[in-house]
Amino acid sequence: MPVSPLPRRDAASRANLNIAGRLAAPVTMAHERVMTVDSQIGAALHGNGLRRGTVVTIDGAGSAAATLELLSATTRIGEWGAVVELSSRPREMAGLAAAEVGVSLERCAIVRDVSSERWPAVISALLEAMSMVATAVPSNVRMADARRLITRARERQAVLVVVGAGWPAEASLRINAGPSRWHGLEFGDGLLAYRDLSIAIADKGAVRHAHLGQRALAG
Amino acid sequence: MTRVLIDERAPRSCCVRIANWEILSTWWERPELQTKPFAICERVGSRVVVRAASPLALSDGVVVGMRKREAEARCSGIEILDSDPTIIARDFEKMARAVEALTPRLELEEPGKLSFPTLGPARYFGGDVALATRVHEALTPLLGEHLSWARVGVADGRYVAGLAARESRNNENRIFIVPPGDSATFLASFPVAALGDLPLAELLIRLGIRTLGDFANLPAPDVLARFGRDGLRRHEMAKGFDYLPADLSVPPLDLVECSELDPPVTRVDVAAFTAKAMADRLLSRLGELGLGCTRVRVEAETEHGEQLCRVWRHEGALTSAALAERVRWQLDGWLAANSPSANINIHDERALQDLSVLAECGLTGTDTTTGALVLLRLVPEEVVPGSGRQLGFWGGDAAADERVDRVLGRLQGMLGLDSVGTFVLQGGRTPLERVTFLPWGEAREPQRVTQSNDTTVVWPGQVPSPAPTRVFDPPRQAELLDHVGASLRVSGRGEINAEPSALHAKELPDGGGQVTNWCGPWLHDVRWWDRRSARRRALFQIVIKNAADGDVACLVSIERGRAKLDAIY
Repeated sequence: MPVSPLPRRDAASRANLNIAGRLAAPVTMAHERVMTVDSQIGAALHGNGLRRGTVVTIDGAGSAAATLELLSATTRIGEWGAVVELSSRPREMAGLAAAEVGVSLERCAIVRDVSSERWPAVISALLEAMSMVATAVPSNVRMADARRLITRARERQAVLVVVGAGWPAEASLRINAGPSRWHGLEFGDGLLAYRDLSIAIADKGAVRHAHLGQRALAG
Repeated sequence: MTRVLIDERAPRSCCVRIANWEILSTWWERPELQTKPFAICERVGSRVVVRAASPLALSDGVVVGMRKREAEARCSGIEILDSDPTIIARDFEKMARAVEALTPRLELEEPGKLSFPTLGPARYFGGDVALATRVHEALTPLLGEHLSWARVGVADGRYVAGLAARESRNNENRIFIVPPGDSATFLASFPVAALGDLPLAELLIRLGIRTLGDFANLPAPDVLARFGRDGLRRHEMAKGFDYLPADLSVPPLDLVECSELDPPVTRVDVAAFTAKAMADRLLSRLGELGLGCTRVRVEAETEHGEQLCRVWRHEGALTSAALAERVRWQLDGWLAANSPSANINIHDERALQDLSVLAECGLTGTDTTTGALVLLRLVPEEVVPGSGRQLGFWGGDAAADERVDRVLGRLQGMLGLDSVGTFVLQGGRTPLERVTFLPWGEAREPQRVTQSNDTTVVWPGQVPSPAPTRVFDPPRQAELLDHVGASLRVSGRGEINAEPSALHAKELPDGGGQVTNWCGPWLHDVRWWDRRSARRRALFQIVIKNAADGDVACLVSIERGRAKLDAIY
């Protein structure tokens, strides 16, 4: 018996079909939404990576180094990351260090001179397209804006990395990078060769510790 | 009278082309350049080449396509200008208005080139020659002594008319008419490069097919089999038909993209910003239907009810960026244009009569803007099946890249062109010099090379790895002190007067502290051969102790006796 196509106006059947479609859709498991971080930080993270759609705060003396590690994890798998620099602070994004830890510079957008009034709009626009957005927080950011950005990140399944202090809302992961020890340099002699950075990761109450080494590249 | 068969695939058209358009529009913008040699340059890859040169520069031996440096060597005192498509396009609106006095159905193809169907106007003005002469007359007040740069060609089809206009440079009156039905004979002797498809032309030449005549003689099924659908279209062009796919569809009515501007807009950049979003929307909706757009009508209304309208055509389908660019040019032309009556030839009695009739009715201008824009409309007039790009099954990387492009473009509109971009590695000594920031949309080409014959170049004096993770641009003020609290000095021979003992800077935790380890100085004598950009500096790696953060390693430089904090590791 030939099957007649579903009439366009049959709303009830369409609704049933939609429900059937939703039930049959592939299920996304929690671990599939994890962005794997394959450095020493990743080993200390739950599921070896960052959950997409969450907010991560990083502070401490080694926050810049830790942020670059996370960015390299994103851009290395072919996804996009962005770094936002505020107009009220000096520009300090280190392109060379980023390249050394493995960030693909062609997929890492830099957005500069963002004033504190425009900051929420800029971050929200970036979360729409990027898998990871790293930014410092302006001093007067409002709670409502922060909450909106959290929702935005969850909707778009992007990771918002907040570098430095000042994030007023909650974060699912808090990373404290520091203190660090430098090896290789002596008094009047030698060269900086290796850094040992202690990292404390607070994830749902539990605190894990890790060490991030930054080593000089050969040549 | 012989009956002329109207072929829909090659409607009789007139093409008006202004040679050296960029030079002419530059003269209008900057009249003082008329007596000077100058060249308009553009960046092609890592080289800057001449795109157009003024007659004075040409007579000194400057050739289009030559490198900027060579042009400067051949012609002393040459002024180098950057190519600015906005200015070029804005002035072209004046041309369009002058020609519009003769016929309403203009299609702008690119700045410097427009075409219109001639069936009506030619009958009205008494033939192709009379029409072409009229076009020349209409352009006289604008072009003045450079009237010989205006080339007019009339032929069957836009493509042939374009070639006829180019061919008219050999004629005294700069008019070239191809009689109806004569396209094939006219085209036969042109080289295949005239098809405007360079890879295809190269291939054809290697196959021994050098002229359009040879190409047109090939059987169409064989051309389709060997060169595909696109090749077949070029084959049609060689036969004198227009570059149009056979199944030209009528655009669906609901594709008109309309946007009311509230508050009314007087500034070009604001209107262009809206136009960009409209272009994106229009093309994404066309894309969903599997269509591309080859001709678009840009319409605007002012707060006084004036209607502005102009048609832009693009061979192949318009991309979102190309469409937005054309709309921007058009808005620029409208908002910056002067009164239309100045553009009407005072010897043209009909036009004067029209103007007086309009004046009697209380309408003083036909096409001028007296107020701000309140409405903007994009109407796709001609759509073709989109060649489109096949996205990955689940959207995939291409969709993500497109989204990124759109968002970064939007942020550039909000924050300025130079605020959004990416880094690219380049040659240099300090961490700051070794990357360059390129605005989004520019080619990712380093200013200084990093590779030479596939080997990475290491600059002498390069700061060794690991790279610092916070690089200040520009470097921040700092104080590097010796044990008695005096600033550290570096002599001309690169010797320090004392060992560093304390470092202070606002960016350091707790404002700085005691130096525990250090090394240096390394001397950089940068560009010593050029007195203006020469710099001498001494670099130190310094570690200070901080109670909370442990070791803080920094890169500090001393230049002209002043210490700067370059970077923190």
